[in-house]
Amino acid sequence: MVGMGAIRIMPANTSPKVPVSRAARKPAKAPGIRQTMSDLHIWTGLLAGWILYAMFLTGTASYFRDEISQWMRPDVPAQSQLADAAELAPRLIAAMEVIAPMSPQWSISLPDARNNTASAFWRGGRRFESATFDPATAQTIGVRESIGGEFFYRFHFQLHYLPVLWGRWLAGLCGMFMLVAIISGVITHKKIFIDFFTFRGGKGQRSWLDAHNALSVLGLPFHLMITYTGLVTLMLMYMPWGSNAAFKDAAQRQAMQTELSAFVRPGPPSGQKAELAPVAGMIQQAQARWGHDGVGSVNVNNPGDAAARIIVVRADDARVSASPQYMMFDGVGGQLLQIKDRVGAAAETRGVMYALHLGRFSDYPLRWLYFLVSLAGTAMVGTGLVMWTVKRRAKLPDPARPYFGFRLVERLNIAAIAGLSVAMAAFFWGNRLLPAAMADRKVWEVDLLFIVWGATLVYALLRPAKRAWVELLWLAAALLVLLPLLNGITTDRGLWHSLAAGDWLFAGFDLTLLAFGGLHALLAIRTQRHQPKARPAARKSKPAPPAAGAHIPLSHAQAAVGDPVVERV
Amino acid sequence: MGHLSVLLLSVLAFACLALAMERHQEELFARQLGPGATKGLRVAGWALLCGSSAVALRQPSWAIGLVSWFGCLSAGAGMIFVALMLAARIPKTIRPQRR
Repeated sequence: MVGMGAIRIMPANTSPKVPVSRAARKPAKAPGIRQTMSDLHIWTGLLAGWILYAMFLTGTASYFRDEISQWMRPDVPAQSQLADAAELAPRLIAAMEVIAPMSPQWSISLPDARNNTASAFWRGGRRFESATFDPATAQTIGVRESIGGEFFYRFHFQLHYLPVLWGRWLAGLCGMFMLVAIISGVITHKKIFIDFFTFRGGKGQRSWLDAHNALSVLGLPFHLMITYTGLVTLMLMYMPWGSNAAFKDAAQRQAMQTELSAFVRPGPPSGQKAELAPVAGMIQQAQARWGHDGVGSVNVNNPGDAAARIIVVRADDARVSASPQYMMFDGVGGQLLQIKDRVGAAAETRGVMYALHLGRFSDYPLRWLYFLVSLAGTAMVGTGLVMWTVKRRAKLPDPARPYFGFRLVERLNIAAIAGLSVAMAAFFWGNRLLPAAMADRKVWEVDLLFIVWGATLVYALLRPAKRAWVELLWLAAALLVLLPLLNGITTDRGLWHSLAAGDWLFAGFDLTLLAFGGLHALLAIRTQRHQPKARPAARKSKPAPPAAGAHIPLSHAQAAVGDPVVERV
Repeated sequence: MGHLSVLLLSVLAFACLALAMERHQEELFARQLGPGATKGLRVAGWALLCGSSAVALRQPSWAIGLVSWFGCLSAGAGMIFVALMLAARIPKTIRPQRR
């Protein structure tokens, strides 16, 4: 976050043009703590910055995961009334008996106030499989199948196309870099309170620094919390040694697992076939305990076997903890075997951190706070990345021919920031435009996102830097602003209908797209108008443009390839 | 309702704290306020922050209230930041002149 002080000090030591600070007057000795922290901040921030930006932005979108999913499944009607768990769960279990009779473990999530679908995942062979259900029919959603907002959620901690574990390790490494960058940033920033509200516009690097500072400092409680708790969510994977040393045998590890998750590993099956007991009564017992809408999911271990277990799990949207609370029943006899309603202090601490990260307990005002502050965090990473180039551009020996590292960072910034906006918008376009009956449709939606993202990188490499920023920002603005129109054409839930019908989820989504389109247009205009002077001029808020001075000579042929896009947008 | 009152208190608190800073006094009034006014604003700002936390913790769920309080702090400070930024853009001619 707070890179600021860093940058403030460094030029003093390295550039004669900048007013000499006290630090620079001292005789050259070992660098002080602020200088060291500043260097650490700059380089950890840069190295992990591109992935962090994507993690932050997709993570931010994940606060509206269920809403995004609803928008991406327009054929599933908005639920007028929440289904009764005791009535719906038996139908879903019947469906699962057809879909995955051989699986040793199902986990069935019920609809809630924000989610109009039920879903299930289950162990199938060596992998997990999943399906989404329409609660009205208890059948899988066949039409216009989509991964929905789940994609952003998955991507933000395990990336994509990589084996899941590699992705999580990489995300964890970047998260650790983020934590280091935050702490070193705070140490580097020596005027947190004096500069608390300070923004000096029109002053180039100074303005960037002020914006980066404000985004970082004002959202600091969130940024620190989200980074730390993000690491905590996968702590047992990143640092298994403590629990490995403490829990030696399988039974102890199993006991630890039940402190962390209601997804209890199934015991060995008996091999004897047996019908599952009716689940409605079990759910009613749970409802009596947790309230009518208090049941979040139903897990079934060893379905169809005499050793079956049915675990009714409490919803975690009413409390600031994700520690498991559940009632376990004998899956054949139906009697209550165990009530788990508290976990140990250490597990509860983890549960609270987990819940803080996900924010599932949030009502809409709080959810918007999460979203907006998280967006500030995204902009913090974005301004930090751009500042790396702003600061160095002024000192380029020959601005027409920047060195390789500068060009690399500049181009990656364009694709990582402006390109991701284009790619995420393309994901939504794909959702509405890909043929409804297309095979592997939901896979193609995601592939399309990455194809477009890759194309923006190629584009950023071929165009002069400033033009690439402006054109991609305009493209993102156009794609975002036109999405509500596309939604109106391809579904019967366009903005005018949703507003008239009081369908606030669809209306809110479309209006948010328009707002983001406007934001991108604003950034594009400011970038376009930016005229670098002898001293670079100012920009405010996030992804702004590298100055035009950084143009890389391009062949006319290359330049011509890019031009039509400008015309079109 | 709860969130709104916490947010409102937080905005007022940060407004007072910002007005208690010399830099922003110069910017807004083209002069520094007296030490009494400055101190009063600072005390009022911190008192309002304490008040907002008290309101947040008295929500039906104090835990969710606490999370909301941190969010409102960031949002409130951000709103004051943006307000000061916009105020600085008002042309100098219509702003108070230095005496």
